[in-house]
Amino acid sequence: MSTDTDSVELVGDRTVEDIATAALLAALTAALAQLSFPYPLSPAPVTMQVFGVFLAGIVLGPLWGPASVVLYLTVGAIGLPVFANGGAGPGTLVGPTGGFLLSYPFAAALIGAVVHRGSSLRDPATVSKPVLAGAMVAGTLLIYAGGAAGLMIVAGYSLSDAVIAGAVVFFPAEAVKIAATVAVARSGRLPSR
Amino acid sequence: MVTYEPGSSLAHGFDPRAKLAFQGGFAAAAFTHVSVRGLAAATLLALAVLATARLSLRRVLAAFRFPLVLLALAPVFAAIQVGPPWIDLDAAVESARLSYRVVPVLLVSAAYVRSTPVRESRAALQRLVPGKPGRVLGAGVAIVIRFFPVLVADLRRIRAAMTARLGGERPLSDRMRIVALGGVERAFDRADRLALALRARCFAWNPTLPALAFRRRDGALCLASAALALSSLI
Repeated sequence: MSTDTDSVELVGDRTVEDIATAALLAALTAALAQLSFPYPLSPAPVTMQVFGVFLAGIVLGPLWGPASVVLYLTVGAIGLPVFANGGAGPGTLVGPTGGFLLSYPFAAALIGAVVHRGSSLRDPATVSKPVLAGAMVAGTLLIYAGGAAGLMIVAGYSLSDAVIAGAVVFFPAEAVKIAATVAVARSGRLPSR
Repeated sequence: MVTYEPGSSLAHGFDPRAKLAFQGGFAAAAFTHVSVRGLAAATLLALAVLATARLSLRRVLAAFRFPLVLLALAPVFAAIQVGPPWIDLDAAVESARLSYRVVPVLLVSAAYVRSTPVRESRAALQRLVPGKPGRVLGAGVAIVIRFFPVLVADLRRIRAAMTARLGGERPLSDRMRIVALGGVERAFDRADRLALALRARCFAWNPTLPALAFRRRDGALCLASAALALSSLI
């Protein structure tokens, strides 16, 4: 049995908090993904998991935000049913909706970078509504670009079909989610780090 | 619900790295072979995998009842057309095949979850990804797996409390805000307590991981996984 016999190298206090918060946000994203409703016009399900992605960028910033999302994707890939509609396994990441999932970490990084403008984190309640909404719209567009690319590569959609099936039909639901996330971010009840 | 249970089944004896490789290979093969023969082969193989983990099919189906219902709904939605002839049976059959291919993958992932302790999954990940990123990934994955059911229960309670106060009649964005804000507050509350508990227990970059033994049969399973993955390219 291999045992580390070096002296114990403790994780710094701030990093412990970052790891714990990133992991809990990933677990929250997984839980929110189970609150989904099927949408007859599109092959991909509409869920609240993107809420977790928005929050990861807004609360944890451009570094730990994507780390939290990567944790979420990893847990799904090793077989826990945490993706929308109880999806699980590496197959989901390479399936037709995999493009959406794989673009989440990039969206979280983009949202974090726009909201915090750098690596020192700001209190989300002090960020103006247009900045929050703009960051999330940019993140959403990134997710839909990735999702449409995934549909085209995996399921052989044409560009126009992929944009309609993978993006346009979701816009109303996305607008509602962004409005709700802005309200959550400005509520003053999120921790500032 | 399917969770890890100690046991001495064949599946318990494999190295988690080999089992992860098999998950990947199986999913790749199951997702690409959507002919009736391909689906039947995937189903038989998945049932065999369940048998090696001594897991009953009924229990797995019960555990996955919600995803299964949603998968079953997909062909119904695919069949409904917004104009004449209103019902498109070909689209329904196509959608049913695409939905069904997920079922064997779910069965195999249940066998993994049943036969692999979280500690071993974490150790496997940490050995596959080098350095501090691997350690953050290993620790983070263990925490997410532990807290996922807890947070699902949190959200369920928040929803029930909202419905009891007639919150179910509010507009969609209000309902989303209430559930998300409640869920977020509880999650951060738990993260604070977890961070304190981790520090109190000397959370370290170099913990002692459980020993993993990669044996000959693990090598064989890896080869089988590679063959399955390659079959998806043919």
